This record gives sequence, structure tokens and C-alpha cells, in this order.
Amino acid sequence: MKTGAGWSRVARMTGQALLTLASIVVLVFLLVRLIPGDPVKVILGVEYTPEKAEALRAQLNLDKSIPEQFGTYIAGLFRGDLGESTSQRGRSVVEVIFDALPTTMSVVVTGILIGVIVGISLGLYAAISKRKGVDLAIRTWGMLSFSVPTFLVALLLIFVFALNFGWLPAGGWPNTWPENLPYLILPGIALSAHLSTTIARTVRQGAIDVMGQQYMEAAAARGLPAKTLNIRHILPNSILPVLTLVGISFGTLLTGAIIVEAVFGIPGLGAEMTRAVGRRDYPVVQGIALVTGFTVVLSSYVVEIAYTLVDPRARTL
Amino acid sequence: MKQRQPLFALPWLRLAFGVSASRTIGIVVFSIIVLMCIFQPIFSPYEANEFVAMAFQPPSWEHPFGTDAVGRDLFVRTWEGGRINLVAAAIVTGFSLLVGTTLGTLAGSSRRRWIDSLIMRIVDAVIAFPLVILLLALVVVIGTDRAWGPAPAGLIASMVALMCVMWAGYARMARGQSLAMRESDFVLATRVSGLSNSRIVLRHIAPGVGRITLALAVSDIVLVVTILSSLPFLGAGVQPPAAEWGSIMYEGRGFLRQAWWITLLPGAVVAITGLSLSFVADSLLDSRSKK
Repeated sequence: MKTGAGWSRVARMTGQALLTLASIVVLVFLLVRLIPGDPVKVILGVEYTPEKAEALRAQLNLDKSIPEQFGTYIAGLFRGDLGESTSQRGRSVVEVIFDALPTTMSVVVTGILIGVIVGISLGLYAAISKRKGVDLAIRTWGMLSFSVPTFLVALLLIFVFALNFGWLPAGGWPNTWPENLPYLILPGIALSAHLSTTIARTVRQGAIDVMGQQYMEAAAARGLPAKTLNIRHILPNSILPVLTLVGISFGTLLTGAIIVEAVFGIPGLGAEMTRAVGRRDYPVVQGIALVTGFTVVLSSYVVEIAYTLVDPRARTL
Repeated sequence: MKQRQPLFALPWLRLAFGVSASRTIGIVVFSIIVLMCIFQPIFSPYEANEFVAMAFQPPSWEHPFGTDAVGRDLFVRTWEGGRINLVAAAIVTGFSLLVGTTLGTLAGSSRRRWIDSLIMRIVDAVIAFPLVILLLALVVVIGTDRAWGPAPAGLIASMVALMCVMWAGYARMARGQSLAMRESDFVLATRVSGLSNSRIVLRHIAPGVGRITLALAVSDIVLVVTILSSLPFLGAGVQPPAAEWGSIMYEGRGFLRQAWWITLLPGAVVAITGLSLSFVADSLLDSRSKK
């Protein structure tokens, strides 16, 4: 057992994740300082008056020197303080984000669930049936889902299932559970369109690899029925990569969720971001960028660590 | 090298339905779309922003894609929009390809470790952000109100934001490739024969890296078109009344029940464009991996 190698790998990945987090913090700090000319003038736009500019400058800490600004910014981060929203009076950025985050997360989780269920069943079916047509269909669908913008998929789903058949709501958000559930189905499907094909292809490849192993031959020689083989041996061994895949796709899923939210009119992070962009609410934009960037880094970090712990083969690398 | 086939000969037919069918179909369909974008607005009797008929006319002979909520001809708007989307995508992808490949090759083949880790930390940070969020943040920074020359309001900001983000993917890929090539036998041979480091990188490593990143670039054009046309849904991107694929569809989104053609017909053009490019990109990646 090479446990030592495992721990050094964990340590290296932790270091790398921390470095990436630090770079995100610096990048977000630099964003507002990169505005050519006076950022306050850009943010205020037509509402510019010297008094307003002075107040905003003080609020955004832009009246101090750069190192001082960076110090306050970092200190604020450690206190969990991301500043005040400039467009929504009296609300802190943290409040704005954490009010909207659960909604976005429910969209993302629905998308992941649908993608995982559809992807694994399709992938297993493609591997077991051994028909070329199924694989071809998955590939074609994968290519389609890559080439067609998410919002178009969402609009098509609305057109077919909400407007033509009237099975599901075309959009909106009751904001109470479990009434939200039907409002999550179409967004979830739209979001999972691409994920499910990637999962299907990974699972198919994994399952085909497993089927070539000697222990599968041995199990079949012992006379185990095909169903047992498929469920007890092929399934667990081929879904491990799915974990990694979901972790890696988290950023893409968040991006997709924001677009899907905009099309379905769901009041999540996407709506807050859109509003903040429209009103040039810089602290909110900065905060959302920071929080989502952190979420993505942490999710892929957790997945990689979990993978190292679960799969002994990953430790030796 | 594959031999050139004479056009319209029998082998061409076999080619069309045989091994490289997807590439042929992809190139043909994409060329048709590009030609339509160039010539349709020139020969069309209507202007893209001209009010030519009643609003919400369904597709007909005079208006193949129908008319939109204010009575503009959607056919000419769609192809006019294609000009914006495809030119912008080509510029953004070309720039990202160039900058990303250069920086990535530099990171992968430089002897100074700090250059490598500096570039790669920036790359990691840029890639870590959800793409659209970073784009929107950059669009706020750059500002969307101004029109620059022939570019409608919002286009330049979106393009600059996309460039700031897209290069990172190429840099990561180019670094990996140049690291792998640095270890390969033929590079070792050039080193043994006493070539200078810069010459090895420029003459021997860079072309190999470029070939790989170029294949990525073709499929990235699809991605850029997709993202650019998604931005209007988030309140950014190309601003109306300019005809751009995303903004056309965004304007039609509220009338999906009465007038599906406003959204779905331009959407079909976007989808076919994306598919044809994906076909080409797929065949490029395929022939590389077989070698």
C-alpha cells in the first residue's frame, strides 16, 4: 500500500486549489481597477454628480491607495463581508447572493440528477446492447447539444411541452416547496442536455472496458445471470468516472443554469447578475463572480479528493 | 498526406458518403451559410432595419422567415445577423488562438519555472470562473453603450470580454502539448544536434502545438457564436435594434405562442451553423488522433 503517495497527492492538490483561490481573489480585485479612466464615472453613467461620485468612491474604497484597498478587501473577505449593493439600498452583497443561491442550486441539482440518470441508463444500454446505432445516436445528440445554444433548447422545450401540450409551466417560480418542483423539470432537462450525453459516452466506454476484464469472464463462467452481471459488476465500476465528470462540469452547469434561469424567469443568481449588470451594481457583480468561482474550485477539489480516497489506483499517480 | 481528389469525379461521390462524409457535409453546409450571409443582404429587396410589412406575418414567399413584432423581414435580419456573429466569432477565436498558443507554448517550454507557474495560475483562475459570469463582469467593466464604427453597440465589449476569457483554454492545451513534445525523441535529437532553445521551440515545437490548438479553434467558433447569442438573454451583448442572432431570438421570445417563427427559424439557422462546424471540428480531431 502506497498511502504515503496518496497523502502527498492530497497535499499537492490542496496547495494548488488554494493557489487558484488566491488568484481568483486577486483577479476579482483587479477587475474594478481595470476600468479605463474613472470607475466611478463608468458605474454612475448618466447619474454622475461630484457628490454622488465622492460617496460612491468612499463606499467602494476607491479613495485610498491600492495596497490599502487590497488590505480592506482581504480583511472584508475574512469577515465574510463583500460590501454593500449600490442598487438595492441597505442590502449587503452577501445577503443578495445567499438569497438567490438556493434557487440556482436547485436548478443545478435538478440538471445534474436528470443528466446522471439519463446518461447512466443510456450509456449502459449502449454498451450492453452493442448496437452501433445507439452509440451513433448518443454521439449525434451530443454534437447537437454542443452546437445548439442552451437558451434555444430551453425555448424549444417551452414551445413543445408548455405551449403546445400544456403539460408543464412555461416559466415562473412560486418560491415555496414542493410547488417549485414542476417549475424545475423543463429547466432541468434544458440544463442536462449536454451533461447527459457526456456521461452516456463515459459510462459506455467504462462499461465496455469492464466487460473486457477477466473477472467478468470468471463471473460469467460461474453462471451468474446477465442481470446480476450488469447491475453488480458493470454498473458500479463504470459510474466512478461520472463523479469526476459532474465535478468538472460544475462551472459549465452554473453558466448554463444562469442562462436557463433567464429564459424561464427563475429568480436565482442569474437574475441577480443580470439586474446588477443592468444597473452597474459593481459590488454585486464582484461578489457573484467571487462566490461562483470559489464554488467551482471547491467542487472540483472535493471531487478529486474523493476520487483519490475511493480509487486506490489514483493514489499512485 | 491525403491525395487531392479531382472535383466532381467518382471518387468525390465516394468521399461524400464514405470515410470523410462528415467533413464534406460540414464544409459544404457551412459554406452555404457563409455565402448566404454575404450575398442575401446584398440582393434582398429589404433592409435589415426597414419596416416592410405587417407585424407577425407567418413565413411566406415574400418573407421566407416571416416578419417580427414590428414588421421587419426576418430572412434578411437572420443573414445580416450571421455576418455579425460569424465575423465576431472568427476574430475572437483567432485572437484567443494566437495569444493562448503563444503563452501556453512559452509556459510549457520555458526553462524558467516562475514563468510557467505565473501563466498557469492566471489560466487556472480564468478557467475556474463560470464563463458567463466572468463575461458579464467584464462587460460591466468595459461598458456596452458605445457603437464603434461598423460594430453595433455592445459588440466590441462582448468581443473583448470573450477574448479575455477564451485564450486560457488554448494556453492550457498548448502547455500540455509542448510539455509532451519536449520529452519526445525528435526534440531530444534536435537538442543533441546543438540547436538553440529558441530555434527548437519556434521551428519544432510551435508547429506541432499549433496543429492541436487549431482543431480546438474550429469547435470554439461554435462556442463563441453560442455565447454571443446567449448574452442578450442576460441583458448584455449586442444591443437592439442591430440584427444579431441572439437579439433577434430574444426579441421573439415573448411571442413564442403567436409567432414561433421569430425565434425558431433563426434558431434553426444557428443550430445548423453549429452542427456543420462541429462536423468539421470532429473530423479534424479524428484524423489527428488516427495518425
